[in-house]
Amino acid sequence: MLNAEPNKTIEQTLWIQAHPETIWRFLTDPERLAQWWGQAQVDARPHGPLRVQMHDGPRPVMRGHFLELVPHERIAFTFGWEPTPGAPDIPPGTSRVDITLTPDGNGTKLTLRHSGLPAALEDETNHGWAHLLNRLNHQARRHHHN
Amino acid sequence: MDETLRAIADPTRRAILMLVRDREISAGDIAAHFPAISRPAVSQHLRILVTAGLIQVRREGNRRFYRLRPHGLTEAAAFFETMWSAPLQRLKQAAEHEQHTPATAEEEPTEPC
Repeated sequence: MLNAEPNKTIEQTLWIQAHPETIWRFLTDPERLAQWWGQAQVDARPHGPLRVQMHDGPRPVMRGHFLELVPHERIAFTFGWEPTPGAPDIPPGTSRVDITLTPDGNGTKLTLRHSGLPAALEDETNHGWAHLLNRLNHQARRHHHN
Repeated sequence: MDETLRAIADPTRRAILMLVRDREISAGDIAAHFPAISRPAVSQHLRILVTAGLIQVRREGNRRFYRLRPHGLTEAAAFFETMWSAPLQRLKQAAEHEQHTPATAEEEPTEPC
């Protein structure tokens, strides 16, 4: 069940030492999407579908479609998951992701805003958390050994 | 939120979260799981997790019991913050790698006249 008031928004910003044009390719090209997010089917034009088998957590399948594409500047798409055990119930079309790219020094500031999220999660999501924590553990260990 | 991410950034604290996820467990039993770590250091980890709102403590006499705070990890915002942070770090690494690999990097923008 989706909880009442699906209106939470999170925002993350990171600085990337690459041109907006380079980062844009990682947002619209399936081979490059697969390098950081998951195996992707993508039709990068307004109303075009986006489907990603996510690497993280309980590996849900993300389904959405593009709302807005301003090459090298901003991209927006709807975000939802096919029902997945351990993943929060976010049906396709219920939340929205906005990514903006702003040239900054010799790199780019990337801002990701995810809105329309439920305020609380169902208990079963704890299992998803266990996966997520395990994965973070593996990543931390890899870093440690590198 | 940063507090949550900082709290779970440490492998020992993540291991503690896994321990207290399904049941309440005493400070002594938690410490016993980490023989290589001093008691004060384990206490410090527990304090950080309590402060971040991820676990809660119950005192019984001079003993302390810890368990996952029901709405700490299940808060949606925290879930999605964590969900995005790992892939965005991979995006940064992959884009920087491509940018600095001569074969695939685009031309440097020319200076405007």
